[in-house]
Amino acid sequence: MQAQHLPHVSQETEAIEDRRIVSGVLAKDRKATAEFVAQCADWIYPFVRRRLIPRAELIEDVMQEIMVAAWQALPNFRGDATLRNWVMGIARHKVEDYYRKKIRELELAVEDDSLPEHITTPAFEQQLDSVSQQKKVQRILTMLPEPYALALIWQYRDEKTVREMAQLTGKTEKAMERLLARARKTFRRRWNDDHV
Amino acid sequence: MTTSDFDDLSVLLSNPEQSGGRAPSSLKARLYSALIRKQQESGPLASLDATVSAGHEICIFEKLVQIVPVGETAKSPFFCEICHSRVLAEHFDQAPIFWPGCPYVKFKEP
Repeated sequence: MQAQHLPHVSQETEAIEDRRIVSGVLAKDRKATAEFVAQCADWIYPFVRRRLIPRAELIEDVMQEIMVAAWQALPNFRGDATLRNWVMGIARHKVEDYYRKKIRELELAVEDDSLPEHITTPAFEQQLDSVSQQKKVQRILTMLPEPYALALIWQYRDEKTVREMAQLTGKTEKAMERLLARARKTFRRRWNDDHV
Repeated sequence: MTTSDFDDLSVLLSNPEQSGGRAPSSLKARLYSALIRKQQESGPLASLDATVSAGHEICIFEKLVQIVPVGETAKSPFFCEICHSRVLAEHFDQAPIFWPGCPYVKFKEP
């Protein structure tokens, strides 16, 4: 019987803890701010990293933007969601903002897309072990024009649909499909040309 | 694009290298310093007296400032700005710093 109350008690404890940290940060208490940073960083780091790797140099900038945005929005934190979910919501928006900005910046002439997509079928080597394969994936993504890499990561890692991506970037679905097709084609071509 | 091509790319790209769940302590240290500087742009930080009253532990250097008979304003600056612990913590994940009450030391804790 007692166990049935545990989740409720745990949620209440979390809510109290959230309120304590939030009021401390709003009062500009340096130690409360340190707790806030330590917690938020651990929450958002895997999320941001997964969506920005291989561009590791961007992780810190995006995380800093998220932290500052969270601090600035903290007076609006009502406690309807946990602090963790609330911060993750901000992180999601910031990462999407970054993707949107970069993909909007894309100039269509950035890559030669004279070859139809089906000609360059990738030779995904079965003999490559998963570590080598992942290294190769990261290497190829690093070499791609940034909007292409982001579009692929957005679709395959973040599992965004073409429609969602189109809505978020203000492009038509057709334009988004074309962009993805070019990104896939360039990825394949570089994959097949990469013999490191 | 065939379904098989799609699957191949999907498998390749959906499986980035595994990373630890926690943020590196040096990253936390830099984020903390940046956020505190941002907080200072809109006015002074809470004084050390207020921090202690809220139940937080302060480091030995902050303690020295706190017991000095000066006004609250003099106890509000970000003293870590001139501390070697901050510099070390921002550059090394296992920085050799061990002061109790130091936020940069706490970032190293699992």
